[in-house]
Amino acid sequence: MPLGAYLTLAALVFAIGLFGVLTRRNAVGILLGIELMLNAVNINLVAFARFRADLAGLIFTLFTISITVAEVAVGLAIVIVLFRVRRTVEADHLDLLRG
Amino acid sequence: MTGEMLGFAAVAVVLLAASLGVVLTPNLFHAVLYLAAALVATGVVFLLLDAPFLFGVQLLLYAGGVVTIVVFAIMLTERLVGQSIRQTSRYLINGALLSAAVFVGIVGFLVQMPARGPRDGWPGELTALLGRALVGPYVMPFELLAILLVIALLGALYFARSDT
Amino acid sequence: MRTGSATLALIVLGLPFASFLLLALVRPLRRSAPAAAGVSITAMAAAMVFAILDFRSAVPRAATQSPSTTWAWLPGDGAPMATVGVMVDDLSLTMLLLVTLISLLVQVYSWAYLHDEPRQSLGRYYAYHSLFAFSMLGLVLSPTFLQMFVFWELVGLCSYLLIGYWYDRPAAARAAVKAFWITKLGDLGFVAGIVMLWSATGTFDFWTLFQMGSMGTLPVELLPCIMFLIYLGAVGKSAQFPLHIWLPDAMEGPTPVSALIHAATMVTAGVFLVTRAFPLFRLAPDVLTLIACVGAFTALLAASMACVESDIKRVLAYSTVSQLGYMMAAAGAAAPEAGFMHLVVHGVFKALLFLGAGVVIHVFHTNDVFRMGGLRAWPWLWLPFVVATLALAGVWPLPGFFTKEAILAGVLHAHLTLPFLMLALTALLTSFYMFRVVFLTFFARPHGHGHEPHVPWMMDYVCRLLAALTLAIGFRMAFFGEHHEGPGWLPAFSLGLAGAGFILAWAMYQRGAVNPSRVAAALWPINALARRRYFLDAIFAGLYRYGLLLFARLVGWTDRYLVDGVLNVLSALTLRAGDRLRAIQTGLAQDYVYGVALGVLVLFVLAQWGLR
Repeated sequence: MPLGAYLTLAALVFAIGLFGVLTRRNAVGILLGIELMLNAVNINLVAFARFRADLAGLIFTLFTISITVAEVAVGLAIVIVLFRVRRTVEADHLDLLRG
Repeated sequence: MTGEMLGFAAVAVVLLAASLGVVLTPNLFHAVLYLAAALVATGVVFLLLDAPFLFGVQLLLYAGGVVTIVVFAIMLTERLVGQSIRQTSRYLINGALLSAAVFVGIVGFLVQMPARGPRDGWPGELTALLGRALVGPYVMPFELLAILLVIALLGALYFARSDT
Repeated sequence: MRTGSATLALIVLGLPFASFLLLALVRPLRRSAPAAAGVSITAMAAAMVFAILDFRSAVPRAATQSPSTTWAWLPGDGAPMATVGVMVDDLSLTMLLLVTLISLLVQVYSWAYLHDEPRQSLGRYYAYHSLFAFSMLGLVLSPTFLQMFVFWELVGLCSYLLIGYWYDRPAAARAAVKAFWITKLGDLGFVAGIVMLWSATGTFDFWTLFQMGSMGTLPVELLPCIMFLIYLGAVGKSAQFPLHIWLPDAMEGPTPVSALIHAATMVTAGVFLVTRAFPLFRLAPDVLTLIACVGAFTALLAASMACVESDIKRVLAYSTVSQLGYMMAAAGAAAPEAGFMHLVVHGVFKALLFLGAGVVIHVFHTNDVFRMGGLRAWPWLWLPFVVATLALAGVWPLPGFFTKEAILAGVLHAHLTLPFLMLALTALLTSFYMFRVVFLTFFARPHGHGHEPHVPWMMDYVCRLLAALTLAIGFRMAFFGEHHEGPGWLPAFSLGLAGAGFILAWAMYQRGAVNPSRVAAALWPINALARRRYFLDAIFAGLYRYGLLLFARLVGWTDRYLVDGVLNVLSALTLRAGDRLRAIQTGLAQDYVYGVALGVLVLFVLAQWGLR
């Protein structure tokens, strides 16, 4: 398959993930959208690594996955604490930064 | 249609369907399951791209670890087990428009790319190469990653402790 | 053409300045009136001695030799931009004599006249007198326009200080301010002219400019404009129409002050300027004609106003304005020597007139001539005044006759017929109103009892001295002076005018043959206008008040609505924009993601553009 096909696929998944981030009300739902976006990026990286025979892309992907895992862990910990304090995880109610 | 193309088409369809499911389904729990499917499909894509090690890593960490964590989080943040976990979304059309625009933007760059076939394969076994790379040129980021994971672990622990 | 010693001139200049410094800085000296008067008068007397020495020791010089001695003052590229120094030629030597003599006599006279003043005020008075003497002497000795302007302003300041000597009197304070303002108006033109002259020629120095003028290297296109502007300064200072209105009001000051600065010295500064700069004025004949016409008109106008005044000092003030017009007319008719000669002799007998008026004011405690009279029995009282009146009216063999005839001859020679007629009519009126004053003041029927009035000997002797001086000058001019070639009928004509005025005054005020009120009724338009000073005061006051106030309101409006308005609008806009923009900060993370995504889109567009 040409490189373009993989990249287009990744772009689609990225766009879908963005849609999820923008429209989901639940905080966890937003995190799921972020997961999709990161996933799309990974596909991109591996495709480029394959088509240039460069190992760096794969290494980058490994690191990305690891960091994503850490990020999800911490992020969900924050969500849980938020739930404990405010009794809600709806994104509409978390507007303390309102100017 | 070659076998490769068929395989790619199938995986692509699954991935896309699963992704749509993640973002569109009202039930959050179902969304997580759809995410799991999407992650597995991504792993298959890695396989198609001659990166079996990454397929393994994807399954272990993403489909295994992340999904588990998210399920736990959902359970801890929704009230009362048994209540249907429903939720609606906001401003669907705006979001759809913006996402479509971003997609179009990216594709706009893609179409300007000169068509190119894949290069020759890896010089040797991929896993061994990756291993040598990780303890060779990329050992510094590797160590830093380890530190990062420790920090994340400590952070999560701190957050999760009770208030007493 | 003679040059005097610069050193002596500087001594003459320095003595009154030293007196002023002493009186200004040493407070105990000023507080003790006798000491202050002593310092000032001694300095003045010494200055006069040195002035006489300088005058007598002056040596002839060639026409190409400069009479100036200067030192560099303001630096410039190459030659200094401005110099200071002294110019000691015939003109300034004569003025030196006049100024020191009259200043000395007035200061001595003041001691008796202002005897009742509080001690500290007199100290201030003498300090001002010293400063004035210094300023006037500096003015006549100036070798450059710039230095002359500096002393010009100083003289104006002294005039303000001395007119407003009794500063707690509102009328005096107002008069001082008015004098200052009106002369300042003229000074605006003066300074503009000086600057334009400098920018056209690069120098302020008189001698240099005269050389340039005679060699024809002066740029002549702008010269009439420049000389007109410089003339404006003279208009203000020498009370020409329409800036003459300050002089009558300046009579609020003490009478000796009026004698000194509003008769003999300060007001003549304008005439002196025109005479000094005459080589330049000669190159602008249109300006000269204007000067002559304005001078003649001023003379007539002021004479008409003097005829209806009842305040003796005001009559003399108008008379001064009128005579200044005569001098200016002479200069304008290209006969500056005649004008200058009149300036000098007029200084002497006008000072005498004022000081004599001071005597009668002292006797009657009023300025109103209709409340005076009955002094026929004591000639020592009215003789000096009458001598001066005869001199002013132009009766042979007194000085006024010769100078007035010279002026009339000069005006006739320049073919200025209308000014000549105006000046002739003025001569008639001059004689008339002066004798009117004489008859009413001294020979009218007495109002009170008739015992001999007591006059302090200092005042009396000063008047006698001045009268003797007038007679001496007159005799010298009659028997030893050069005779001008005017038309043969002119001496008889001018004597006839003087005589006619005398007869008219005698008929109306002494004999009672012609009723003054009937004459006034017959000439009622002129009478009414003259009594109201031709509304000129009112016009000026109105212009000043409304013009200035209007301008101030305009400026205030601009400041409030335009300047403040701009700032207020800007700040209001900022506040409102801030309020509106705050709505973007919803606090919801997803909205911020929208923002990021939009930004990314913009970056895509820019990058695509860049790729093209």
